[in-house]
Amino acid sequence: MIGYVPGASALHRAHPYTPLAIATGLLLMAFAVSAPGAVWVVVAAAALFAASAGVLGTVLRPAAILALPTWVLLTILHGLLGGAPHVMLGPVAFSVPGGERALVFGGRLAAILLAFLTALATVSPARLVEAMTARGVPFGRVYLLVSTLTVVPRLRARVRQIVDAQQCRGLRLGGSPLARLRALGPLVVPLVLSALAEVDEQALALDVRGGTARGRRTALEPPEDSRADRAVRLAVLVAVVAAYAWKFLGAGG
Amino acid sequence: MALDAATFAYPGARTPALLDVSLAIEAGTVTGVTGAVGAGTSTLLLVAGGFAPRLTGGALSGRRDIATNRIGIVFATPWTQLTGLATTVRAEVAFGPASLGRPRGSVLAACGAALRDLGVEHLADRDPASLSGGELQRVVVASVLAMEPELLVLDDPAAELDPAGADALYALLPELARRGTAVLVATPDSERLARTAERVLVMEGGRVTRDGPPAAVLDDTDVARIARAAGCPAPYPLDVAALVARVVR
Repeated sequence: MIGYVPGASALHRAHPYTPLAIATGLLLMAFAVSAPGAVWVVVAAAALFAASAGVLGTVLRPAAILALPTWVLLTILHGLLGGAPHVMLGPVAFSVPGGERALVFGGRLAAILLAFLTALATVSPARLVEAMTARGVPFGRVYLLVSTLTVVPRLRARVRQIVDAQQCRGLRLGGSPLARLRALGPLVVPLVLSALAEVDEQALALDVRGGTARGRRTALEPPEDSRADRAVRLAVLVAVVAAYAWKFLGAGG
Repeated sequence: MALDAATFAYPGARTPALLDVSLAIEAGTVTGVTGAVGAGTSTLLLVAGGFAPRLTGGALSGRRDIATNRIGIVFATPWTQLTGLATTVRAEVAFGPASLGRPRGSVLAACGAALRDLGVEHLADRDPASLSGGELQRVVVASVLAMEPELLVLDDPAAELDPAGADALYALLPELARRGTAVLVATPDSERLARTAERVLVMEGGRVTRDGPPAAVLDDTDVARIARAAGCPAPYPLDVAALVARVVR
């Protein structure tokens, strides 16, 4: 599942900026290190981040689905085209440095996916809006960010409605790969057209509701930004700066 | 709000959707607009509310004067009018006044009053996504009312409501007019329009073809004459399909 998952963990209760800061920190750390082992330590940290919020099971599946094709591609490309030394895997000469590079790139991808899917699962869009509003972030930027974060659940709900409607009208989703491919048309076309048709009315509705008003919005229930939240974000910043300092001083990973 | 010889065409359209329309909407009145599908009623609302061509694109000629910038609009489809940013009805309704930067107490007071007006106070803590179409439409109207508009335009606002909900919504419109709001409502529901509006415009092909008190306007049509001859009570529907539906009912 991609999107917010209600919960009562410390991350769910934290200021919305805190999980986002941790996720961003994990992303930066994944690029600060370059040894396969170090990258996979960051992956483990991202998994721990998800587990601490109780959403590891929820985010693992979409992360694997999104990462798997890239992992396979990376392994084939770097394993077959990489330089010496090689190991023989049956009839195939597999590059050892190429395999290490695939592990690094694949690990970075895994860390990024786990970190940001966890942030998505723990940050309530409504609380994020309030937090950004309280900080005086212009509504246009708030809307852009939050609508991006919530686009997957909204699209899923719409797809479900369209699938139900088209199945009522005789669309068959099963069968051969060709039949499945044919069934995509009656699903994708209404999905795109309905989204486009609704954009105008939604833009109008937001305009009418003050979405384009200048001046600062009123935050009605701004989430508390506790000392612990600020300390965690500072710790993330310090860790990232230290990692990059180490990297550029030539002692990194 | 006043239009003088207003003509409007959507981008890329060969023919205008609104043709040579002149009208004035006064504060404290309910004006109804009705007509067949494609007659131009929705376009008239968009132009009257100042939304076309500003947000729709297209070209407007003639003169338009709008004396307020506190304008609210409600469409027939509630799910496209949600902000998508609120997880409770209260937050959804409070979105508008909060966007204007009003103090928190004032926002919550306006939100509470609008929820009460629409009879949806009991839904305040519900997720808008969990509401029925009728409940959602009342929440959308409450969201617009919370901004205390001076000009309120409604495009078939009861399309998603059950008869009782539609009656309650239409009963609210004269009350809003008494508070000083200028209300412009488009609907094919001539019965409710006759009960609610003090003035009705009938549109055909983008033009206003009749304009006056509901009794005079809605009684002076071929369908009304047939309905009268058939012994139907006034107010009369505007088209044959609605007349047949009334007779069957």
